[in-house]
Amino acid sequence: MSKETYIKEAIESIIEYNEGKALDVMNRAVADGCDPVEILSEGFSAGIREVGDLFGKGRVFLPELMLAAEVMQKISSIVDKEVAAKGDATEKKGTMILATVQGDVHDIGKGIVASLIKTQGIEIVDLGRDVSVDDIIAAAEKYDADIIGTSALLTTTLGEQKKLEEILREKGLRDKYKTILGGAPATQRWADRIGADAYAEDAAEGVNKVLALLAK
Amino acid sequence: MDKILTRYGDNYIAELTPEEIRADIEDGTADAADRAQIPPLSKDEMDYLYEIITCPQKIVSVVPGKEVVVSFDAGTLKLSVRNGIPLDRLQAILTQERALASDSIELCHVDYSYKPIKPIISEERQAMEQAQLLTTLPVLYGAMPNMGLYTKPDGPCENWAELLPAGKIPEARAAQEEAIEHAIRDIVFVASGMIESGADGINFDTVGASGDADVKASLEAVRILKAKYPTTGFEVGMAGEFNLGMHGQLAFDDEIIAGLYPHQQVKMAERAGVSIFGMAINTNSSMSLAWNLARVVTFAKATVAVAEIPVHANVGMGVGGVPLSIIPSADAVSRVDKALIEIGGVDGL
Repeated sequence: MSKETYIKEAIESIIEYNEGKALDVMNRAVADGCDPVEILSEGFSAGIREVGDLFGKGRVFLPELMLAAEVMQKISSIVDKEVAAKGDATEKKGTMILATVQGDVHDIGKGIVASLIKTQGIEIVDLGRDVSVDDIIAAAEKYDADIIGTSALLTTTLGEQKKLEEILREKGLRDKYKTILGGAPATQRWADRIGADAYAEDAAEGVNKVLALLAK
Repeated sequence: MDKILTRYGDNYIAELTPEEIRADIEDGTADAADRAQIPPLSKDEMDYLYEIITCPQKIVSVVPGKEVVVSFDAGTLKLSVRNGIPLDRLQAILTQERALASDSIELCHVDYSYKPIKPIISEERQAMEQAQLLTTLPVLYGAMPNMGLYTKPDGPCENWAELLPAGKIPEARAAQEEAIEHAIRDIVFVASGMIESGADGINFDTVGASGDADVKASLEAVRILKAKYPTTGFEVGMAGEFNLGMHGQLAFDDEIIAGLYPHQQVKMAERAGVSIFGMAINTNSSMSLAWNLARVVTFAKATVAVAEIPVHANVGMGVGGVPLSIIPSADAVSRVDKALIEIGGVDGL
């Protein structure tokens, strides 16, 4: 069977959140000599991004999204084992701190972002909601994070994202971390204005942006 | 050609060319049509929307005869809490009626959810009676169903927002089903008390904020209340442009609640006994007013086309095309109102 067919089936298995089918596709692809990393990135990862888009349109619901993310995580761990077994150097995927900023208790969206990014093999340290800038920076230092992601759902709490940039600069830590932000009132214009590295409109875009930041 | 002064969805000023505005209108209506599987705006409607958006006057208005009524959510919080004017609730209601000529008003408590009203229901009933004695405008009582208040540690149910990411889907669904029963009981208790104290109607605000369980609890409560008080009006204002599926399998009269868009939400609301449907379309803060408004009007038109009850569009900040900003600009707000009324055909705001 061709690599393209495996990729197509991999996408389908995630959209159908079908763990058995996903494992079967991966096993057959590996047995046929396909590169598991390629099947993961072009197949399964594309599938989870499509599930994210469908969720954004109300055509897939949260339980299904979570099921798809679970399947994706299992596939990711299989790929990690395959890569390790071949003795290839495992690519460092990174660690990300994620928090809803202080004064803001909205965390449904952030939870979805965390679930989807985890599926890409990135370690997520989810600090929860109503988290102060000081606590965010302390966690970034403690976990030696690569990326700091913040969510603000209120116009009144948006300023915390700016405060994060300012305090990182004051502490001389700005270049140590990549920053990404999101939330209903946040925009690319806001990210540019405060000096954040990236903005993501939704969870699916967040995955792409985080991967791009890690690749820099 | 000169650029036209307009806005982005976060209220930033934008200077766009006529071609960019037309392209945004086309993209916005196409996005709504694709998401909800409804017809896009016609060319004439898009041309008229372009005229509204590019009108050189700062503030626009509907043509005479097209005026609509207004209803409120967070009614008595607007002047005191939002604007910082030290008025008590009765003074706020009188100001709305006599200075601002409001068509109706909503009495509400600062803990704007049904559950926390239970222990203070006697005070709320007294406030309603006083308001009714001093005013002639319809005074509704309102709050949010706010299902999150039924999860631990604030309530008795497990927290489905924690269970779902942990993969405990049956447990998350069971917790939501348990919370629905608590919410229905509390809403019916509070609403009954307020109706018996003279409330002209009951408002359910931000329905669906906690997902499809929130919608189910609200509509089941409306059905019970409508049977109990058949002459009372019930307004249901939604939380977003589609019902978020936190449970995903809940149904009302055998129809799955999750994923419904406004033109479907309104039919379900009608069956429950709702008197006024408040459609809520999210504003995208990254996109232009033209894109957002084309989208909102497309949803509105499809909803009004099938509705048998009045449709009031939610035009609060960040909803209905109104920019997501603490003080949305009057130029954007007035264009949103005009377009929703004259193209979308809504019955109220």
